[in-house]
Amino acid sequence: MDKKGEKTMKNKTIELKKGIKFHKIETNKFKTNLFAIFFSLPLTRQTVTKNALLAAVLRRGTANMKTQEEISKNLEEMYGSSFDCGIEKTGDINTIKFYLESINDEFLPEKEELLKKSLDILLDIAFNPLIENGEFKEEYVEQEKENLKQIIEGKIDNKGAYALERCIEEMYKDKAYGLYKYGYIEDLSKITPKDLYNYYKQAINECKIDIFASGILPQNTENIVKENENIIKLQERNIQIKDEEKQIPEKENVVQESMDITQGKLVIGLDVTSNIENLSYITMCYNTILGGGANSKMFQNVREKASLAYTVGSNFLKRKQNIMIRAGIEIENYEKALEIIKEQLKDMEEGNFTEEDIENAKNLIIATIENIPEEQDTEISYYLGQELAGTNISVEEYKEKIQNVTKEQIVEVAKSVKMNTVYFLKN
Amino acid sequence: MKLIESTKIKEKAYIEKLENGLTVIIIPKENTEKKYVIWGTHFGSIDNRFIEPKNKQEVFVPDGVAHFLEHKMFEQENGRNSLDVLMSLGVDANAYTTNNHTAYLFATTNNFYEALDELMDYVQHPYFTDENVEKEKGIIGQEIGMYDDDPGWQLYMNALDCMYKENAVKIDIAGTVESISKIDKDVLYKCYNTFYNPSNMVLVVCGNFKPEEILQEIKNRIVEKANQGEIQRIYPQSEKGLNKKYKESSMQVSKPIFLIGFKDENLEGKKVKRHIAIEILMNMLVGKSSELYKKMYKEGLLLSPMDMDYEFTDNYAHVMLTGQSKDPQKVKQELLEQIQNLKENMNEEYLNRMKKKVYGDYVVEYNDVSDIARMFLSDYFKGINSFDYIEEYNTVTSEYIKQILNELFDEKKLVMSVIKSK
Repeated sequence: MDKKGEKTMKNKTIELKKGIKFHKIETNKFKTNLFAIFFSLPLTRQTVTKNALLAAVLRRGTANMKTQEEISKNLEEMYGSSFDCGIEKTGDINTIKFYLESINDEFLPEKEELLKKSLDILLDIAFNPLIENGEFKEEYVEQEKENLKQIIEGKIDNKGAYALERCIEEMYKDKAYGLYKYGYIEDLSKITPKDLYNYYKQAINECKIDIFASGILPQNTENIVKENENIIKLQERNIQIKDEEKQIPEKENVVQESMDITQGKLVIGLDVTSNIENLSYITMCYNTILGGGANSKMFQNVREKASLAYTVGSNFLKRKQNIMIRAGIEIENYEKALEIIKEQLKDMEEGNFTEEDIENAKNLIIATIENIPEEQDTEISYYLGQELAGTNISVEEYKEKIQNVTKEQIVEVAKSVKMNTVYFLKN
Repeated sequence: MKLIESTKIKEKAYIEKLENGLTVIIIPKENTEKKYVIWGTHFGSIDNRFIEPKNKQEVFVPDGVAHFLEHKMFEQENGRNSLDVLMSLGVDANAYTTNNHTAYLFATTNNFYEALDELMDYVQHPYFTDENVEKEKGIIGQEIGMYDDDPGWQLYMNALDCMYKENAVKIDIAGTVESISKIDKDVLYKCYNTFYNPSNMVLVVCGNFKPEEILQEIKNRIVEKANQGEIQRIYPQSEKGLNKKYKESSMQVSKPIFLIGFKDENLEGKKVKRHIAIEILMNMLVGKSSELYKKMYKEGLLLSPMDMDYEFTDNYAHVMLTGQSKDPQKVKQELLEQIQNLKENMNEEYLNRMKKKVYGDYVVEYNDVSDIARMFLSDYFKGINSFDYIEEYNTVTSEYIKQILNELFDEKKLVMSVIKSK
């Protein structure tokens, strides 16, 4: 009996209206139910700061719960349900995310109806903001502008993340994907409560909307969503977001910057330029052999053999077909580390890796795939990713695609890999 | 096997002490594919002085040795590294060192028993050579460098320095480049033979297991070693009073980060009950719906609620409230005011709401096999049964909460650490 198959059968997607979908994931693995709403919009310089500000302003108050304190009180009363919202970029798509997690009714000391309450509150925050005099409450907008400014300034606080962000910016200069997801201080000052509200009204009519529920869910869950007046009010929409063409530089771009740090942060951005069928699955295997874990070439050669780094590895940005190599190294070891990393890339091209390396990499990727249903937010992110990519690949198919990758294919991808940018943060 | 249970959240755990002294805790979870195992030894960075069981001699070891040992355990005599072996099985493997314990673990949906073979083999078979010990110094040196650049870690270390004069909790877990230079294979073997005895260790598994079956599987993989009984550790006497009230450093941060700590000198009595009361109080004082957060947010002095934590073992205990603000002193003043207000007027409705919230926080811990196993392990080393947080929560009365508030949240026990922007 295939238990996993049985479980995936229970997932269903309902198109509430054109461009608005409800996804139901039934699972009994957790003590909690997780609900999420995603607004997906094109990533542009004109809107990125507004989107970040919107996420912040919406959580401040709704027509029904006018202050953040009131929202918090309601959530605390519901056994500490937790609300979170945020902003993401996936390729050239900008997503505003809202999450609410609450204990499943089965595990409460007393009977309550947390499920409906949770969905109602989440929909209220996303669709029914507090409006005063035909605009967002000025006090909230001004405070959130100040807060967002501090978040943007705080970009430098985490050096590793900063170096990665800077490398991507250099790779996508004047392109959508190079935009910082929290936006820009110079754009922020110009936004008025009126502007922002007008933008919200427009965005809410045009964006792609995905609503998720995951947990032990009663039959009527979809009706709670369908019959919610915020959903009834929404119009049909038709949105398609296409990523811009990538520009591959002739020669790699080298960027070095200084900050007061003791450990240097090296980030190398690679372009995968192949057009081979099933490219993403092959590149995943390539990336895992190169820098995916303790068995990878990066870890073995930069850390274990040369003792140059504590953190070293690479990750794969699927939608952009980029691989980002990262290493924290002694500043004077820059040349040495770069040389070893280049050797590893060459090794990959020449097929200097074994069938065992491929097997190990596949095992690692498959373990990650099998872990998807084991974490509620991971599972939701997985299905959202599918939704945004316009694909519909089950966890089982995904595993099969990885299993089918061959060494020849990995070498072909390796030969298409080009260094785009070498970024180094030093002192 | 002893059975413990929580009916409220419908979870069970089985506990068995083997003849060699090893404690095994099994928490069955039927609906999950993911399995998690963690094997911990009661040996952390604070255990730097002890009596060697073999010859009854007192030993001092360099700072950072528990962590160094953790790194070196993966190295095998056949030239392979166990972390690589586990990764090649598609297993998510790792290890970590804290103030009071070291743990080796993996999570997996596949190849569980092959991975268990490897885990139990490498933890029971150390292989240290002069050469492999030397090599590790470069890697750990980089790890120390990474923490040197981490403002959050420096903030935390400075706060400990404020609270404690002698207590080994203030030693950096990884040690310093200087202290680890003194580590050699003899020191590592000395520590291994003392602390990696089964009687000093706990193994926790969580996942879809039949308790009797998995217990047998574990027993089959045990290497015979004599139970050497309890280890005599020498800690500095528990100290009263603070080392200093305030410490600051400058680093490249966009705006200051701060930590307000309260040193808890009452290390006796009911730990779980005390912990629950402190969680409720921290939430009331600085949580999302607190007066403090509302005010500070409005004034732009806090962007997000402070992180709150109560750390404790038999040797130390403290509350830590961490945040980022352009004016940490003002936040501190506000906190003191709110503490005063709460002492004068304990709002019962507010208290009950926070009790509900804290209950929910405990239930959420049972979502993931990794969180469950890690929680049982670290609670075990504190002498706690994790279910007690769910079961005892109703015994925490408002009188008791008031008592803790008066006792612990006192200006005399307060320290502050600040990392200013350069």
